[in-house]
This record gives sequence, C-alpha cells and structure tokens, in this order.
Amino acid sequence: MKTTLFSETLQRKLLFVHGKGGVGKTAVARALATLFSKQEKSTLYVTFDDPTRAPGELKRVNSSLSELNAAAGVSFEEYIDLKLGGGALTRLFTHNKLIQYLAEAAPGMKELVLLGKIWHEAKQHDRVIVDMPSTGHAVAMFQSTENFARLFTGGPIQKDASAMLDTFHDPNFTGHLVVALPEEMPLIEALELNSLLGRFFPENPCGFVLNKRFPRVSSDLPPPDEWKSPVAASATDYVRRRSILEQENVKIWEEKGIQYLELPFLSPPEPGKPDFTSEALCTEMRQRQ
Amino acid sequence: MSQLDDLLLKKRIIITAGTGGVGKTTLSAALAIRAALLGKRVIVLTIDPARRLATSLGVEALEHEPSDLSDALSGEIEKIDPLRMPADIRMHEGKLNGSLAALMPDTTKTFEDFAAELAPNEDVEKRILENPIFRIFAREYSGANEYMALQRLNALSRLSQYDCIIVDTPPSRNTLAFLDAPELLARFFEEKLIKWLVLPSNRLLSGGMRKALSLLEKLTGTGFMRHLFDFASSIFEVREPFLRNLRGITRLLQSEQTCFLLVSTPTPDVADEVQLFIRSIQEHGFHFEGVALNRCLSSIPFTSQDLDEASDDEKEALDLFARLQAREAQAAERLVSSSKKGMIYVKLPELARDVHSMGDLVHVALALSPQSQPPAR
Repeated sequence: MKTTLFSETLQRKLLFVHGKGGVGKTAVARALATLFSKQEKSTLYVTFDDPTRAPGELKRVNSSLSELNAAAGVSFEEYIDLKLGGGALTRLFTHNKLIQYLAEAAPGMKELVLLGKIWHEAKQHDRVIVDMPSTGHAVAMFQSTENFARLFTGGPIQKDASAMLDTFHDPNFTGHLVVALPEEMPLIEALELNSLLGRFFPENPCGFVLNKRFPRVSSDLPPPDEWKSPVAASATDYVRRRSILEQENVKIWEEKGIQYLELPFLSPPEPGKPDFTSEALCTEMRQRQ
Repeated sequence: MSQLDDLLLKKRIIITAGTGGVGKTTLSAALAIRAALLGKRVIVLTIDPARRLATSLGVEALEHEPSDLSDALSGEIEKIDPLRMPADIRMHEGKLNGSLAALMPDTTKTFEDFAAELAPNEDVEKRILENPIFRIFAREYSGANEYMALQRLNALSRLSQYDCIIVDTPPSRNTLAFLDAPELLARFFEEKLIKWLVLPSNRLLSGGMRKALSLLEKLTGTGFMRHLFDFASSIFEVREPFLRNLRGITRLLQSEQTCFLLVSTPTPDVADEVQLFIRSIQEHGFHFEGVALNRCLSSIPFTSQDLDEASDDEKEALDLFARLQAREAQAAERLVSSSKKGMIYVKLPELARDVHSMGDLVHVALALSPQSQPPAR
C-alpha cells in the first residue's frame, strides 16, 4: 500500500488531518499547528462549526498562529463577494431567498464552500492545518467538490472546484494525514479512508499517525482470540490485556508495510488545570521529525 | 424490570445519537439484540457512513433489504449458561422468542424507490431519474444520505412485521443536520421557493429575482441552469405526495412511540454535551429518554493489591489507568447532578477486546441489564 512518511508531509503547505471521531484528531492537528508556529511559520489552524465559537471567528493566538472556526454561511458570502466584486450585486444575490435556500439545502454545497475557504487560505499562509470532520463526512467534502466540478457547466465555480481538487491532489502542496487509535476499528477505517481518498488523489497517499498508544506491559497472557470474555477482571488484568491487544491490533497496519508516527497515551489534564496535551504531542513530534 | 428494558418494550422507534468513536454502532446492535431477547421483532438500521454495523454483527455486508439474523442470534444464546441469563429475558423453551434483522439503506436505491413511489406516471419518474442533478445527489457521500435514511425509516415503519426499530445515526454534529432534513426540504415547497424555478422565464418574475437567477447562471453555467429548471419542474409535479411524506416523517419522529438516546463516553465534557443535545431535541419536539455512557473503566476493580504486586512497567500503566478512572468518576458525577430525574442512565464497561461477532454483542447486550454479573474469565 502506498503511504507518505510523516516527516515528508510536514514539508507540505496544506495539511488535512483525517480520522474517525474520538481518535484525537483535534489534539494532533493542534500539536502540528504549535509545531509550525514555534518555527516562526505563519500558521492557520482550521476547525469546522465549533459550537463554542462564533461562526467564521478568526482568533489570533500569537504572532505566528491563528485559529479559524470555518462556517459555510460566512464563507459563502465571502466567496460570492470575491466573485461578484462586492457591493450591491453581492447583496442582491446573497439576500435573495431562493439563493439563500439553495446555499443551505443543496446537498454538498456547504462542503464545497468550506473546502473553497481552505483552498483560499492556503495561499495566504506558510502552513494551514485542517482538523477535518470524521471519516465519512471528510470523504463527502471531496465528493461534493467533484460533484460540482462536474455539475456546473463552465463558470467560475466549476473552474475553482477543479482547481481545488488539483491543489488537494498535489503532493508538493497538500498532505493528508490519517490519525487512528491502536484499536481494531479505527485502524481498519484508516486503511479504508486511505483508499477512499485514493479515488480522488491517487498520487497523494496519506501519512499515518497512531495516537494514544497505552504503556507497554509484558505478561504471559495468551493472544486475544483465546480470551473467553471481552471483560477485564481487574485493573492489572486490563493493562496487561490492553498491551497485548494493541500489539495485535497494530499488525493490521504493519502487515501492510505501513510506516507510521506513534504518539503515546498522555495523562488527561487535572480538572480545572490547563490542557497541555497538544504541547506535549508537539514535543513528541519534534523528537521524531 | 430496568428502565432500559421498559423503554425497549414500550417504544417502537429508538434513535441513538452521539459523536464519533463512542461505540454508538455497537450499542445500537446490542440494544437490538436485547430487545429481541425480550421478545420483540426487531430491526436495526444504520446510516453511519463508515459502515460498522455489519462487522459488529459478524456478517460480511448489510444490504438495502433486511437480513434476518435470528438464527445466528439463537445459536449464540444456546452457548450461554442459562443461569447467567437475566430473569427478565423471555425465552421460549430456551429459544429466542423475538426476531432480529438488520439493514443499511443504499442511498441510490432509496432515491429510486422514492421517485417511483411519488411520480404520478412513468414519464415523470424517468425525467427525475435521468436528471444529472438527481443522479449526482443520489450517489453515496454526496450529502443526501440523511434525507434518504429518514425516508427508509419511514418506509420501514409502515411494515407491520417489526415492532421495534433501532436507528443508528451519523456522529453528533451531523445528527442535528439529520434532524433538520425534513424541515429544510419542506421549506422549499411551503415557502413557494420552488415556483421561481418552475415559472417560465416571463415577466411574472420580479426584477430582483430575475437578476439573482442570471447571476446564478453566470456563476454555474447555462447547462446547469437548464438541469436545475428541469429538476425543479419534475419535483414540482410530485410536490403534494412529497410534502405529505415529509410531514409523515416529522410526525413519526415527534410521536410518542419514537425516542432518542444519547451515547457518549465518560469524559469531562459529557454533561455539557447532554445539555446541548436535550435542548436541540426539545426544539424539534422530539422525545429525549436518556444517556448511555460507554467504555466505562469504573466497573473494573482496582485495589491496592494491583499496585503492590505491579512490576515497573505495570506501575506506569496503572498510574494512567488510575487517572482515567478518576476523571471518569468526576465526569459521571457532574452528568448525574446536572440531569433531570427519570432520565435513563446506562453504563457500559470498557471491553478489553474489540467487538466483532454476534457472540461478543450478546455479552454486551446482557451487560445492559443491571442485574447481570460480570462473566467469569
């Protein structure tokens, strides 16, 4: 299976961080953003529709790092402004009830607009790190872009949608990272995601990150298939079993010759204390760079 | 009888929702198995685009049409020590009393069935099916899966052969989109937005609308506009049955026989997530019943003996385990204190092995019973 080395993806301007929900995509994406901003690169971290922030909010964290909460509604107006030259025409168009409806309800329109925003931002920064939605919906974003590149017959949107796909395909510009946990389903889904993305970007395979590897424990327990029950009897039994299970699970990748960056399971932050997970992950990444 | 079993017996449609990675698909399958053990004729439907239900049920693939899994389930039940069976499980001479089926709707197929059902004649049906806009949106990963899954649920609910339907949904931020789908579509017709696309390009169009449409054409191309007008006029012909159908779906989701369960993990933000979810569920007029916390470490006994006998590498792992257990206890406490009384609250143990067979799922289904004991090693 074709893959890209983690260290190689770090050279790319635009990095999509993919993975199933709950694998720590956000922590990994933030760690990458921290890594680049510490190297004094102008870095933008992008998340989508974070309900705790205002739609479209751009927050400047420090002189080299900003964070964007991308929202389709805001990006749509920005895009139309860009294409129609702003002013009265844009207002007439974006305030039209039918157009507003189509922008909201046409399947895939929001996805297209959000990726368009990222494409635009990637040209304005040294590094753009995108914290993607979970697997199926990340694929839907690229699928929608392809759909519109085909549906729209000429005109600027079609041209932009095609150019976006070219950019996301270009291994000199864009990297796709897939994050997984050392659990069976996430590891398999990462492989599936790599092949789904391969349909759009055959020449730009994913880089792989294994997150939250539990501390290794040696024991003489038999392999997981021989356990009678999936339930652990004690804490010691649990940590031993988990170690064996993770070792078995990562074979799903190793047997396919996948090279990956491994990150440890970090202690959760104490309640009420600041969360340093992404800084700690950043340090881990730098050591392995 | 536990609250959860009571729910499985009383409600016809149970919709599970939650963010990704919380084991929602596994829980949905386990709930379905439990309902079948309680004597219900169950079907579990997944719209999770990541397609995990088939693997959990131990089958190669799930199809658009229901696959009957009753025999596979009966086979697994026979292997279980009858003494471990909770008292409220209704078996009939050691055999399964209910039935179990599963399906995964195929987006394209559902769209086609839907068009055939609504179209007044073959000509309209053909026009809809051949329109490039329709054909592209009817493909997988094109953003229309939610609309169509609701459509499939609606069709299933009309079948009398199932008296319990468990619906596994896409991850939480999308669940809200899933809930909004019927309303959003209805607006297209009810606010008469569609008429602007159906009216012949004559002077009935206001100046502003004419200008907006011409800008749209400039942005998207003439070919697309032609397809859009054609698509709108085909849809216009089926608007009445379509709207009736949408209202039917909304009624179904709002009815007393339908309820929502939130699946989550015992992490610090769970209490806020639950509040947010309850609010949006209530805004839609739907019924929230409770929370299932999955992957709980609290059920795993951790004593001083564990630490006394630990090797150095075990000590490091146990230290992490202890921190995770402490964080979980705090999260659970906050959840319970911020929730209203009567809410169903189920805790599922963290498993030491991934679930990928019917046998494993039966273990989980039995663990949903408060009376059940952890099985022997």
